[in-house]
Amino acid sequence: MVREASWSDARAASTGARREGTAATMSARDVRLGFGSVTVMEDITVDLPPGSITALVGPSGSGKTTFLRSLNRMNDKVRSFWREGEILLDGREIHGRDVDPLVLRRRVGMVFQRPNPFPMSIQDNVVAGVRAHRMARRSAMRDIAETRLAEVGLWSAVADRLDDSPFRLSGGQQQLLCLARALAVEPEVLLLDEPTSSLDPRSTEAVEELVRRLTPGITVVVVTHNLAQARRLSDNTVLFYQGRLVESGPTSQLFDRPSRPETARYLGGDADPAVLA
Amino acid sequence: MRAPAAVPAVAGGSGAPGRAPLVIGRRRRAADRLWWSLCAVALALVVAPVVWVITGVVQRAVSGWSWSVLTTISTGVGGGLANAIVGTFVLLVGVGLLAGLVGLGCGVYLAEIARPSWRTTVLRSASEVLSGVPSIVLGYVGYEALVVGLHWGFSLLAGLIVLSVLVVPYVAKSTEIALGQVPLGYREGGEALGMTRSHVLRTVVLRSAVPGIATGVIIALAISVGETAPLLYTAGWTNSYPTAHLLHAPIGYLTYATYTFYDDPYPAVRALSYDAALLLVLLVVGLIASSRLVVHLSQRYSPERSLGAGRRSPRPLPAGTAEAGVAAEGTGSL
Repeated sequence: MVREASWSDARAASTGARREGTAATMSARDVRLGFGSVTVMEDITVDLPPGSITALVGPSGSGKTTFLRSLNRMNDKVRSFWREGEILLDGREIHGRDVDPLVLRRRVGMVFQRPNPFPMSIQDNVVAGVRAHRMARRSAMRDIAETRLAEVGLWSAVADRLDDSPFRLSGGQQQLLCLARALAVEPEVLLLDEPTSSLDPRSTEAVEELVRRLTPGITVVVVTHNLAQARRLSDNTVLFYQGRLVESGPTSQLFDRPSRPETARYLGGDADPAVLA
Repeated sequence: MRAPAAVPAVAGGSGAPGRAPLVIGRRRRAADRLWWSLCAVALALVVAPVVWVITGVVQRAVSGWSWSVLTTISTGVGGGLANAIVGTFVLLVGVGLLAGLVGLGCGVYLAEIARPSWRTTVLRSASEVLSGVPSIVLGYVGYEALVVGLHWGFSLLAGLIVLSVLVVPYVAKSTEIALGQVPLGYREGGEALGMTRSHVLRTVVLRSAVPGIATGVIIALAISVGETAPLLYTAGWTNSYPTAHLLHAPIGYLTYATYTFYDDPYPAVRALSYDAALLLVLLVVGLIASSRLVVHLSQRYSPERSLGAGRRSPRPLPAGTAEAGVAAEGTGSL
């Protein structure tokens, strides 16, 4: 794919540079998660180093998404959800009594599987979080929108229709818009729940390229079903199977020199999950 | 692509023996026609009375129509309907504000705040029962409680409150349903940005529920425009324009004119009855049309509007950008 080197890209690069050093560490210690009497995940201990991209992989139903959503407490209001063990952001327990989940979610942002722009103009979408947190004056909103749209590589496409409906954009563009919206509140960690599973290959490439550009300014955690994507994109990979962490480590190590036979079978392309049992 | 000649001929249904013929059987076709004609009859049964009522009202009103009806007040032996028209609009605005706000609050509470429990079930049922109470009963209760009990006399406020009680369930229900249909993605997207629940509700969720809520409010207004019984008991009637007093001052309204002037001994007054009926029909039609307009206007940023009509297709993007390839495949991916 040829990307036109443009003013907007230069601007994006500078924004990326400014991010440097704000990335946070997340870690989970002996985490158990479940709904009601069902345990969905147990024995999860993993570190997500600052500025790295970590891929969470595993078959459907292995608990990847449940785990991801626990990292910014999006499961809190899900009925009958419970959690044991510690989840730490820069060493601080995110379920602490004095922790405001709203501040947590501002620091640990999230982008979902299906693009979910709000029913408002493209510009208002980008600055929705900025407005909610009163991070900037009203007069600065347009500039913020421009900076963020440039950051995700969408500026040239929407520059003259900022007041248009986001639903006129393609699915890939909508997902980039959602990324711009998440980035606008300046998170330290970004959680991506299968961000490209509803996108075509070219949009997928655009999203992956953006994620690479965001690091090491931000810590990224991405759930994916696409093993090739995990391999291309991530520094570290965590393999889940049936609610347990099978193996985690540097992506190249997991794919090329896995220490457990189950990892070799799953990442080796043997699609039959039964071999893991 | 295969040449048409290569496709085996299927017309006539005379395929190889043992295969089902492609032609619709005579019996199935007859059943089909019967079904559609029954549906058409049912539709006609609904539409015919509407047409009948409207033509009847228009004919009688137009034959003796005088524009002075709109500008002069009623005198008891003739005159116009200006006082009733103004009174009806005052009631409309009042009900819109009162029932609109209270109904919106109820709907938001039921859909967003209350956790499902026996209490919400009771609340919801109470609201539904209220919408089933005959309006004349509400009128009588309003008369006993407000006009007599609180010594308000026939008054604007008494009429407003009774009318609002009557239509609040419609606003509450439509609000609750509209909020229930807001995609989960909007809420989760807002929460993932660290917005408070009420901020998500105000800036994102309510916005996408506006068409449903507005339709409910306007239906409620249309119902209250057509109500007579509760107003007879509470608002009374007067031949003069509405005053600024909420209490102790009766108010005129169009349904009173239609209902009471109908068998008046003075022909001029009887004519006003038809004029009022015509104005009521026009008002209700106008309200329903305006609900369409509100829905249209408020959907500027909705997914349905953006994808459905496609009257303004997205402009082509410069070739070579990542987005160009995506846009070329169209916006129908969601």
